[in-house]
Amino acid sequence: MEYGFDFAYVFKYVPKLLSTLDLTLLIVAGAIATGLIIGLLVALPRLYHVPVLKQLSMVYVSFFRGTPVLIQLFLFYYGLPEILKLVYIDVTRVPVLYFVIFTLGLNAGAFISETIRAAVTAVNRGQVEAAYAVGMTGYQAFTRIILPQALAIAVPVFSNLVIAMLKETSLAFTLGVMEMTGKAQSLGALSQHFLETYISLAIIYLIISLLLERVLLLAERRLQRHMRREQEKRSWFGLRRVPPLNRLTRELNLEKKEVPSYEA
Amino acid sequence: MIKLRGIRKSFGRQEVLQGIDLTVEKGEVVAILGPSGSGKTTLLRCINYLEKPSDGTIHISDFTLDCKHAGKKEVHALRQRSAMVFQQYNLFNHKTALENVIEGLIVVKKVSKDEARKRGIQLLEKVGLGAKLDAYPSQLSGGQQQRVGIARALALEPEVILFDEPTSALDPELVGEVLAVIRRIAKEGITMIIVTHEMAFAQDVANHVVFMDGGVIVEEGPPAELFSNPKEERTKQFLKRYTPEFSYSI
Amino acid sequence: MKLDPSFIWTAFVKLLSAIPVTLEITFVSVLCGLVIGSITALARIYRIPVLAQLSSGYVTFIRGTPMLTHLLLIYFSLPMLVDGLSSQFGLGWSSARIPMIAFALVSFSITAGAYMSEVVRSGLLAVDRGQMEAALSVGMSTPQALRRIVFPQAFAASLPNLSNSLIGMLHGSTLAFTVSVVDLNAKAQIVASTNWKFFEAYVAAALIFWGLTLLIERATSFIERKINVYNRGGVA
Repeated sequence: MEYGFDFAYVFKYVPKLLSTLDLTLLIVAGAIATGLIIGLLVALPRLYHVPVLKQLSMVYVSFFRGTPVLIQLFLFYYGLPEILKLVYIDVTRVPVLYFVIFTLGLNAGAFISETIRAAVTAVNRGQVEAAYAVGMTGYQAFTRIILPQALAIAVPVFSNLVIAMLKETSLAFTLGVMEMTGKAQSLGALSQHFLETYISLAIIYLIISLLLERVLLLAERRLQRHMRREQEKRSWFGLRRVPPLNRLTRELNLEKKEVPSYEA
Repeated sequence: MIKLRGIRKSFGRQEVLQGIDLTVEKGEVVAILGPSGSGKTTLLRCINYLEKPSDGTIHISDFTLDCKHAGKKEVHALRQRSAMVFQQYNLFNHKTALENVIEGLIVVKKVSKDEARKRGIQLLEKVGLGAKLDAYPSQLSGGQQQRVGIARALALEPEVILFDEPTSALDPELVGEVLAVIRRIAKEGITMIIVTHEMAFAQDVANHVVFMDGGVIVEEGPPAELFSNPKEERTKQFLKRYTPEFSYSI
Repeated sequence: MKLDPSFIWTAFVKLLSAIPVTLEITFVSVLCGLVIGSITALARIYRIPVLAQLSSGYVTFIRGTPMLTHLLLIYFSLPMLVDGLSSQFGLGWSSARIPMIAFALVSFSITAGAYMSEVVRSGLLAVDRGQMEAALSVGMSTPQALRRIVFPQAFAASLPNLSNSLIGMLHGSTLAFTVSVVDLNAKAQIVASTNWKFFEAYVAAALIFWGLTLLIERATSFIERKINVYNRGGVA
């Protein structure tokens, strides 16, 4: 393995890798959008204590939080066509990309449903009572009072999830999707300058993570105007994500660990 | 006029309200006293249907609600006739002081935004917070938050305002400003029911005092009479225990 | 190809032999990560010059990039480092002798270190400043105060995050297959490749991971109940 490390490659490969950035971002956006829909659907039965559906959603969440994403990807890649074949739907020609988005979406859905649930539960019971006392209906109380506050609580956790999702897209290459990591691997194989390729890959991921974090922080600030006083000063790089999470867990005092923080 | 007849409420096997009858005339200020666990807060919350009574009827001006057959619509209609000031203020955390006051006007009473703002500002000035219109609850002191809570209740122009221990979560030095506001609006002839531990305040402001213990009304009457000459043994003991300074002040 | 439920059981039994490897990777990287994390967290809390900035940079970099890239970077840079040092000092090391699992252990420890750093830091910050002051006021030294007063409370506060990180690393260990370590995931692939029953093999693997995760969660809540006694009751 004797080859000279050449830093020039690092810069040379950045634009080449960026050419596949759109695919990576497409996976992130697709998975998060899928996850939001599924997450809301899965959270509702547990918030409103719908029998049977509630148990089902608990199993769903437990499974997707309890198994590695990589295993989930393989499971759905190999399993979904066979299961759908039983009901005579042929998906063997559907591009792998959609499997990846769908699986990552299911995964995100589990975490998002927990986030929604935790955030709604975190809104003080007195807020609902005050809304009723003012004469609001249940629907008005939910949309005007609970939801905006729950959103503000959920945003930091949500932004965590988006960044985690960005990082998880790197797993798509194991199924042969040519996103950034896949591209980096083929570039490395071509030139045998693996290390340089991976350094530029890491730099790109880092910059996108920081940008995403920054954007989501703006959204968070906007939604949390009313919490201004208790907000501590935060640095640019924002090592801010763990404290709010932590605070949530303590305030909620739910059975345990209701707040998702998958990190890989 | 507010009439409660045979209000009962149980939590599990424990009956917290054992058939309460209470009549409050229009413009009257009623103070409900009693040791903790006597059911006074529960009674107040029943009037606003934040607790569902297991039996009884609630009558507010032109509207009567039978607790056994109360649907969503009836409950909503009942709540529109009353307003509540909470012990923990319960201001909407994500709304400014002004927005808190006008939220009910816009959403429930369908008042136009401009009109609501005008009234909201008036009310906040009335409670001495004209300078804090755009402050969020987290930026206000407890006393200020509670005064916003009172303005929010007033904005709805309810038949009755229910006060649930409005000063017991406050630091002692902030109690005075809130009591002053309540005293002022009491003089305007708004019907009020106040659950409180402030004996001196109750004696001063209320036209009628109710003493509750163990889920029943033990004794009621004009404050002068009830405080200086209680008839029931339980009332005597309570007054002795809770207001030691009271006997000296006369 | 038809579904073969009985093969799930066959695969399940065969996969059990790979559990020790997965657990070894998980626990070694979490423990090493805890050491790295504690050092970097303390450096940042006490604002030790240079070390604090380095720690922040390290944490930001690791948390901003996928775990997979850490593994790939280590896989390609560690041999260069070892061979370079060896020829420089004539140590006679050879990168070819590095066992595959070492790459996974080194890389995952570095990954875990950054996450642990955040866990430790937020745990320490969760302890009220007054606790430290009270400890000093009764005459304890700073190390005593840290050890007897701050750490126990910080541990209780960070337990949920710790367990999350442990689960994260357990799940992350599946990446080891990219450097040909035979963990649960790789074993599932091997078991399936003989007869192409991939789905069944991954169902078995998923069940094992699910079970391990639930086990960690149970254990955490048990410990939590044990140590949170002082926290119970109070505010309604």
